[in-house]
Amino acid sequence: MNEPQLVGIAQVLACRAPERICCMGLGSCVAVFLYDPTTKVGGVAHALLPRAPKGAGTTGKYADTAVKLLLDEVLAKGARREMLRAKLVGGAQMFPNLNIRVTDIGKENIDEAKRALRALGIRLAAEDTQGTRGRSATFDLESGRVSVSTAFSDSHFI
Amino acid sequence: MKVRDEGKVLDIVGEFANIGAGNAATALASLLDMEVVNEVTTCNLLPLSKVASWLGGPEKVVAGVYTQLCGDLRGGVLVVLSRDSATNLIGHLTKETPDLARLTEMQASALREIGNICLCWYLVAVSRMIESDLIPAPPDATVDLLGAVLDLPLADAGVKVDKVIAVHTVFKSFEKAFDGYFLLLPEEQMLDIILEKMGDGR
Repeated sequence: MNEPQLVGIAQVLACRAPERICCMGLGSCVAVFLYDPTTKVGGVAHALLPRAPKGAGTTGKYADTAVKLLLDEVLAKGARREMLRAKLVGGAQMFPNLNIRVTDIGKENIDEAKRALRALGIRLAAEDTQGTRGRSATFDLESGRVSVSTAFSDSHFI
Repeated sequence: MKVRDEGKVLDIVGEFANIGAGNAATALASLLDMEVVNEVTTCNLLPLSKVASWLGGPEKVVAGVYTQLCGDLRGGVLVVLSRDSATNLIGHLTKETPDLARLTEMQASALREIGNICLCWYLVAVSRMIESDLIPAPPDATVDLLGAVLDLPLADAGVKVDKVIAVHTVFKSFEKAFDGYFLLLPEEQMLDIILEKMGDGR
């Protein structure tokens, strides 16, 4: 099998089977996966922050605009919009005892990604989110499954 | 931000990095009750996107101790220890070999304290050079994938930070070596102040 393509923070990537895509070390970041099982086209957006400030443009750095960007990319690769379903991974709270923080960026990222998916009418099929552990996620475009692992545990599929 | 000569900036950062590493070695020696010297210190001024690869890649498991500065000058401060270094240091302090996957409350506390002492003493070096107080909040610690450890510091830095001051120090104690990274993610105004004050009269 080919090595999976790595997708770093603020990057958006769409491709088709038999490719695989991987986001390594997701902490508070959220990875949004889109997949159309009929064409086996899909992609991922790896977002750092929830909402783009005014004037930021459409960028992969923010969950709200990253989801839109990802949708455009997978449609351009030939995915059928009505067949698309989404999976979410990440949004952990890595330093829960840092008292200076009032917000949980991980949770905000997840909430914002869900809001953006809902607004676009894309169904959420599965998620592995929140908690206090980082995750790595590998997306197999052949099966549509996402393999999730943590630093100290074996992988499981969502 | 002003255009700067990167070479000169690195000289300035290198000077503070060596002083900080010396401070940290002394503080660790007294915390661990053993002789600690700093052997090698390298430093860099990195864009946010290059931090993970400079530290060994996002999939590496590390110990991270993170806090934010809460005084006039804002920014994030992160200490990263390799797996082996964290195991040795926590082990020496608590007299038991830790399982990094499941730190006990005491071991987690030891890790926070090791990180706290290191980051405070690097900050003292910066503080003295720029003649401004830097006030860190009490930090929190975790052992996880480097990419995950970096997420929150990078998210906090967000749009306000474009360069990270990164210092790597190898410490030596008896025949054992351990190493750690000190990362300062200064908000733009703070980076300007640091570099201007450090650069005065040079």
